[in-house]
Amino acid sequence: MNIRTRESLAGYLSLLPTFLALAAIVFYPMVNTFIHSFTKWNGATSEWIGLRNYSFIFNNGELWTLLRNNIIFVLSIPGILLLSMIVSVLLFEEVRGWKFFRSLYYIPTILSSVVVGMLMKMMFAQSGVVNQFLHAIGLSDGTLEWLARVPTAFLVLIFCFYWQTLGQGVLIFLSGLSSISNEIFESANIDGAGWWQRLMRITLPSLVPTIIYFTVTNAIYCFIGLFPLVYSVTQGGPGRETTPIDYMIYIKAFQSPGQLGYSSALSIVLFVIVLLVSWAQIRLANRFEE
Amino acid sequence: MTNRRSWPAGLFIYIVLITIAIIDFYPVVYMAINSSRTAVDFFKNPGGLPLEWNFDNFKALYYRFDVLRLFGNTFFSAAAAFVLTMLLAIPASFAFAKLRFKFRQGLYMTIIATMTIPSITFAVPNFLLMSRIGLVDHLESVILIWGITSVPSNIFLLAALMRGIPNEILEAGKIDGMRYFQTLTRFVIPLSAPGIITLAIFNTTGWWNDLFTPLIFLQSDDLKTMTVAVATILKRFDTDYPLLLAGLFMTSIPPIAIYIALQKYIKKGLVIGSVK
Repeated sequence: MNIRTRESLAGYLSLLPTFLALAAIVFYPMVNTFIHSFTKWNGATSEWIGLRNYSFIFNNGELWTLLRNNIIFVLSIPGILLLSMIVSVLLFEEVRGWKFFRSLYYIPTILSSVVVGMLMKMMFAQSGVVNQFLHAIGLSDGTLEWLARVPTAFLVLIFCFYWQTLGQGVLIFLSGLSSISNEIFESANIDGAGWWQRLMRITLPSLVPTIIYFTVTNAIYCFIGLFPLVYSVTQGGPGRETTPIDYMIYIKAFQSPGQLGYSSALSIVLFVIVLLVSWAQIRLANRFEE
Repeated sequence: MTNRRSWPAGLFIYIVLITIAIIDFYPVVYMAINSSRTAVDFFKNPGGLPLEWNFDNFKALYYRFDVLRLFGNTFFSAAAAFVLTMLLAIPASFAFAKLRFKFRQGLYMTIIATMTIPSITFAVPNFLLMSRIGLVDHLESVILIWGITSVPSNIFLLAALMRGIPNEILEAGKIDGMRYFQTLTRFVIPLSAPGIITLAIFNTTGWWNDLFTPLIFLQSDDLKTMTVAVATILKRFDTDYPLLLAGLFMTSIPPIAIYIALQKYIKKGLVIGSVK
C-alpha cells in the first residue's frame, strides 16, 4: 500500500463513525419522514394515501395561518437589525464603560427561551409589572390582557425575540465594525468627512456582509427556533393564531393521535422552506462577493 | 474611532445605552428579587421590593423538587453528549482539514448541508426508534440525539481551526494506525484545545437551554432536565409567581456563570461563525 492510498484510507476511516451515526439519527429518519408524508400513519401501521396530506395542508388554509405567523416574526427582523446596528455604532464610539454595556447586553442572549418566555409571561400578565408601569405613567388603565388578543400576544412574543437577539446582534456588528481598517477612517478624516458622512459612505457599506449574515440566521431561526418561546408564552393561542409551523408539527406529532402522516408532510414543507432561505443566503453572499 | 466628541453627543450616547441596559437587565433583576419573597408578599406589591426577604422558595426547590437531581440529569447528559460529539467530530474534522482523499469536498458539503435540517423534521422516526430499542425515558436517548445531531456544526468550527495547524507538524508519514492516533492525541487535540473549550461552552449552554429533545424523550419527573422541569412540573404552580421565578432564576445561574467566567472563548466562537 502506498502513501496516497493509506492517506485516503485514514480519511475514510476518520469519517466513517460520523457518517454511520448521522445515517442512523438524521439521514434515515429524514427519508422515513419523507416516505410517511404520503401515508396515514399512527406510528405502528401506515396506509398509503398519496398526496392527500399535502393537498390538505395547502387547501384547508391551515398552512397559510401557520406561515403567516412565521412571516410576522421574519418581518420583525429589520427592527432588531436596526436596533443592534444603532447600539453597535454607539458602542463603537468607545465611550467610557462601553465594554461593561457590551457584556450586559449579552446576558439575555444566554438565557433559555423557556426562561425568557415564562418570565415575560409573568411580567405581561394582567396584574403584572408591565401593566402596573403603564398605569403608573398614565399610558393605559392597567388592565390590558396582553396574551388574550392576537396583536398584543404577537407584541409580547416579538419583544421576547428582540430581548434575546440584541446581545447577539451587538456582538456580531461590533466584530464587523472592528474589521473595518482604521486607515480608511483616517483618510476620510483627512478628507474632512464628518461623522455622518463616514457612517453613510464607509461604515454601512462595509457592514453589508454582516447584515446579510444576521438577517439570514435570524430568518432561519424564525422558522426553526420559535418552539420553546411559543410553548412557554402563548402555547400557540389564542386558538392557533400565534402557532408557527414547528410548533404545529409538535402538536400533530406528539399531542394528536394518528396524525403522524400529516405531521410528516408538514415537516417536509418546513424543510423545503428552510432550504429556500439557505439557498437565498448563498445567492446573496455570492452576488455580494462579485 | 477615538475622535473628540462634543459633550451633547456623549450625553446622547449614554442616554441610549443606559435606557437599553435598563430594559435589558430589569427582567433579570425582577426575577432575582421576586424569587426571594413569599407569594402573599409578592401580591401585596408585585412591582416593588419585598416587605421581607424570604428564601423558602429555594428550600422548596431543593427539598420538594429535588433541584440537585435535575441539575445532575442535565450536567450528566450534556457531559456525555459532548464526549460523544468530540469522539465523532475530532477525527472527522482532522480528515477534512488535513487529509487528501477522493470526494472530500462532496462529503464535507454533505455534512454542512445537514446543519440546515430542522431537528423537528426527524423527531418522530427517532422517537419510534428509541422506543423500539427501549431508550425512551432514559437519559441515553437524549445523549445520543444531542451528541449526534450537533456533530455537523462542531465539524464546521473544528475543521476551520485545524486548517490553521502547520502541515510540517503532521507529516503524511504518520498515517498508519498507532501513529495516526498519536498525531491526534499529541498534536491535533492540544493545538485545537481553545476551539474545543469554545465548543464545550456552546454545546452545553445550548443543551442546557434545549426544550424540545428532553421534552419528547423523558417522561418521568425524576429524569427531566432542569429546563423541561421548569416548563412542565413547576408550571403547575403558576399562581405562585415567586416559586416559579426561583425556578427560572436557578435555571439561569449556570449559563450566566459560565458566560462570566469564560467570556473570551465565547467571543472567539461567535466571531468565527460570523466573519467568513
